Amino acid sequence: MLRRTLLATLLIATPVLAQTSAVMAQPIPVGSVEILSGPAAAYGIAIKSGMELALDEVNAKGVLGGRKIALIVEDSAGQKDQGLNAARKLIGRDKVIAIIGPTLSTEMFAIGPVVNERKIPIIGTSTTATGVTAIGDYVFRTSLPESDVLPVTLKAAMARGVKTIALMYANDEAFAKSGFEVMKATADKVGLKIVAIETFGSKDSDFSAQLTKIKALKPDAIGLSALVEPTAGVLLQARQLGFGKETQFIGGNGANSPKLGEIAGPAADGLIVGSPWFIAKKDQVNADFVAAFRARFNKDPDQFAAQSYDALKILAAAIDRAGAADSEKVRDALLKTDYSGVMGAFQFTPGRDPASTSGVVVLTMQGGKFVVLE
Amino acid sequence: MMPAWLASDWTIPAGLDDFLWTYGHLINSLGINGLLALSMYVVLAVGQLSLGQAAFMGLGAYSSVLMTLTLKLPFYVVLPASCLVPVLFALAVGVPTLRLSGVYLAIATIGLGEVLRALYLNVDVFGGALGINGIPERAQTWMIFGMLILALLGLWLVGRSRIGRAMEAMREDATAAAVMGVNVPGYQLGALVASAVLAGIAGCLSAHQSSFIGPNEYGFEPAVTILSFALLGGIGTPVAPVVGAWILTLLPELLRGFSDLRLVFNGLIIVVAVLFLPHGLLGWRMRRRAA
Amino acid sequence: MHDLRAGPYLCLVPRTMLAQQLVNGVLLGATYALFALGFTLTFGVLRVVNLTYGFYFTAGAFLALWLTRHLGAPIWVALPVASVGAGLIAVVIDFLLLTRLRRKNAPELASLMVTIGGVLALYAGMTAWVGPDVQRLPPGLISAEAYDIAGLRITQAQILILVATAVLVAALLFLLRGTRLGLALRAMAERPDAAGLMGINTGRAAALVSFLSGLLAGAGGVLIGLNFNAIQPFMGESMMLRGFVVIIVGGLGDIRGALIAGLLLGVLEVLTAGYLASSLKEAVAFMILVAVLWTRPQGLFGTSTVRRA
Repeated sequence: MLRRTLLATLLIATPVLAQTSAVMAQPIPVGSVEILSGPAAAYGIAIKSGMELALDEVNAKGVLGGRKIALIVEDSAGQKDQGLNAARKLIGRDKVIAIIGPTLSTEMFAIGPVVNERKIPIIGTSTTATGVTAIGDYVFRTSLPESDVLPVTLKAAMARGVKTIALMYANDEAFAKSGFEVMKATADKVGLKIVAIETFGSKDSDFSAQLTKIKALKPDAIGLSALVEPTAGVLLQARQLGFGKETQFIGGNGANSPKLGEIAGPAADGLIVGSPWFIAKKDQVNADFVAAFRARFNKDPDQFAAQSYDALKILAAAIDRAGAADSEKVRDALLKTDYSGVMGAFQFTPGRDPASTSGVVVLTMQGGKFVVLE
Repeated sequence: MMPAWLASDWTIPAGLDDFLWTYGHLINSLGINGLLALSMYVVLAVGQLSLGQAAFMGLGAYSSVLMTLTLKLPFYVVLPASCLVPVLFALAVGVPTLRLSGVYLAIATIGLGEVLRALYLNVDVFGGALGINGIPERAQTWMIFGMLILALLGLWLVGRSRIGRAMEAMREDATAAAVMGVNVPGYQLGALVASAVLAGIAGCLSAHQSSFIGPNEYGFEPAVTILSFALLGGIGTPVAPVVGAWILTLLPELLRGFSDLRLVFNGLIIVVAVLFLPHGLLGWRMRRRAA
Repeated sequence: MHDLRAGPYLCLVPRTMLAQQLVNGVLLGATYALFALGFTLTFGVLRVVNLTYGFYFTAGAFLALWLTRHLGAPIWVALPVASVGAGLIAVVIDFLLLTRLRRKNAPELASLMVTIGGVLALYAGMTAWVGPDVQRLPPGLISAEAYDIAGLRITQAQILILVATAVLVAALLFLLRGTRLGLALRAMAERPDAAGLMGINTGRAAALVSFLSGLLAGAGGVLIGLNFNAIQPFMGESMMLRGFVVIIVGGLGDIRGALIAGLLLGVLEVLTAGYLASSLKEAVAFMILVAVLWTRPQGLFGTSTVRRA
């Protein structure tokens, strides 16, 4: 009898003891759901690279007095069901205290409510569509919604003499469509005359019909809201159809990628785009980030990598400030974020969107590379 | 009625509760994909091929969501009503193509998926590319599996009846079956309609358990996935395609670690299964047939 | 449903715009036809809806990318070499996936299924290998400058597509109608079992058809990749759906039909986007498909009776 009690005590006590000492060294689980396979994998992979780079830097010092962050990245393959399973697995099995992602706004509309219901903070780094943070109190985003970026861009275009504009957008992509809606509203507000609105599909390679029609209307500018591949396709074909320097091309958020220059080459020259970040930004934090990214991944970072790099660091800082690996406390700490990263100064609004738009710069494409518009 | 171990509001151990929550969506997907596999099975069982199951599912999903959100109908009305629109479209596609060889139905149903996608993208009431979000979670696990069991029972009874024999005869040789007096086009259209019903209900259930639907979820690729459910399991009995669906639903989760190569495995498994198990994993028939 | 400002401008349309739109339509149609040629050939002869077909299109484009980027090959070398390479890949894949089923006389559905699994694995493997990014052929491979002919603009790549489509259609028609080999293939298309009895080596003929269709798809991939300057693993997949429409509207296995249907589809899509609403462009293909299935299921140009179930 005594032996049995002793045994029982031991059985109960041992794990408790082990647990207390393990807590100190135990890594803090943080999850991420991104598109790592399938046609849109490029975005998820860029985001994952940015996070991995930030993770190494965070873990060199550790958070909460030396604990490491264990980042578990799951693939959604761009599919709702897989994304939902991934988020539930991260929360239920890996017990993550926060999630970064997912890649697309539409995925956030599916995953966000589930994660929010479990009171786990989820931070989108590339979800720019309207309504994302309205999902719930635990849904954050670090990506500037287009409504903050486009007014700056369009005003820069008007300063260059643009008075009329034709709008083109990919109507099968939530991100592109909501970018277009903002572009249309902004154009109306700043007094640009919209002469045509044309749509295309994200996977299209032929845009000649739409461009020929626009060409006959002779607008001063063409505003494009789409991911980078179709944006490059539109530019290439526009040049073939004889659009020259007299037409100002204006890109939405999707155009803000070094891939635009790689795919479209000289056809992209002269396009302007508003950006919360750009590769040649001269401050030290950004220069270090770009150098480290190139050294590790052997290619240039894009805005998706930059945003996720900052997001992981913002989250790590919030965990540190929260004082415990506890979702509720981390959420409160996130709201008090005051951070300066590669994207510039960063705070959240009470609605969990990025607060500051001061970092927006207007870039223009020259010889296949973005430079700041003078 | 509802199995206790599936209900989330029961007093069950915390560990199990966690397990059920973690895999809740996956468990529901097993039921929904089982229904989709059955909707494919019905068509395959009469020797036809439809790649429109995803399109029918989408019609069920969109129409039911609009009934729930705009018409504010209760779910017990919405669920049965969700098969109406898919059935209308099944008739529109089936009537002209079922006169022809199977390939025509296959391609026309792919076309249907694309036309509907264009419709969802361009008509405001469907939310365009942004889809529809904020759908209430009305579909419970027990409803999903209840429907699956009902469908299985129904198809099993049909399969054992005279209708089932006629269907099998058509699958083996449609011309011979017609000569023997089987109303081949009638059965084929009936099968397509039944499959639209099942897919429509699956769409309604799936939409009401994931809070968001979008126009890109019901295109060609999901159609192909549904087909692979049925062909992996085989179409000897109604149970076989459901097993196929379960394998292919669990597979991506089991292969999660492989990330990029997951789809490669998925594809190769299909290839190997078909090449070496041409009647599916479960090749046995409901009855022995005299050779 | 349609764009807000599409209507009022109809009256402002100058005639050169219509001419340019027709040119755009013919060029787009030529790419559809070029893509569909090999697809309709495999379907017509081998009776298989071979979903791996789109992958050969991707393979051709990537081979050309590799040849031009790493070996510095000019387009005149890269185009034929990449096409032949894609043809050989098609033979290997066809052998791996379909010979077994063909020998066992397995049902049509099994063949379709195996190509579904195959193409899924191929695209995913390709993506894992080369990455999902869009890649670009080396600049200067072909002049991007457009010729301006009486206000109509057309590029070298586009001329190349037109010429290649015409040449390939002519060559295929000659092969099928003017040679003994073609006779054998047509015999196989009509009665595969009888063709075997007549002493036609159906295995070898199947390999030849696979090679030809891979070659055509590969050539299409190079040319279309060159024209739109965007090469990525899934590029073949997005062409597949249009490919289906073209081969049905043209009549299954009908080379001339595919050419005409491709051109027709291209022109109608462009005119719809140019004069109605660009959001309707995607639906055009399938509206034509449905119309043809209801009224002329044997294809617009088919005279023979349709293969019935």
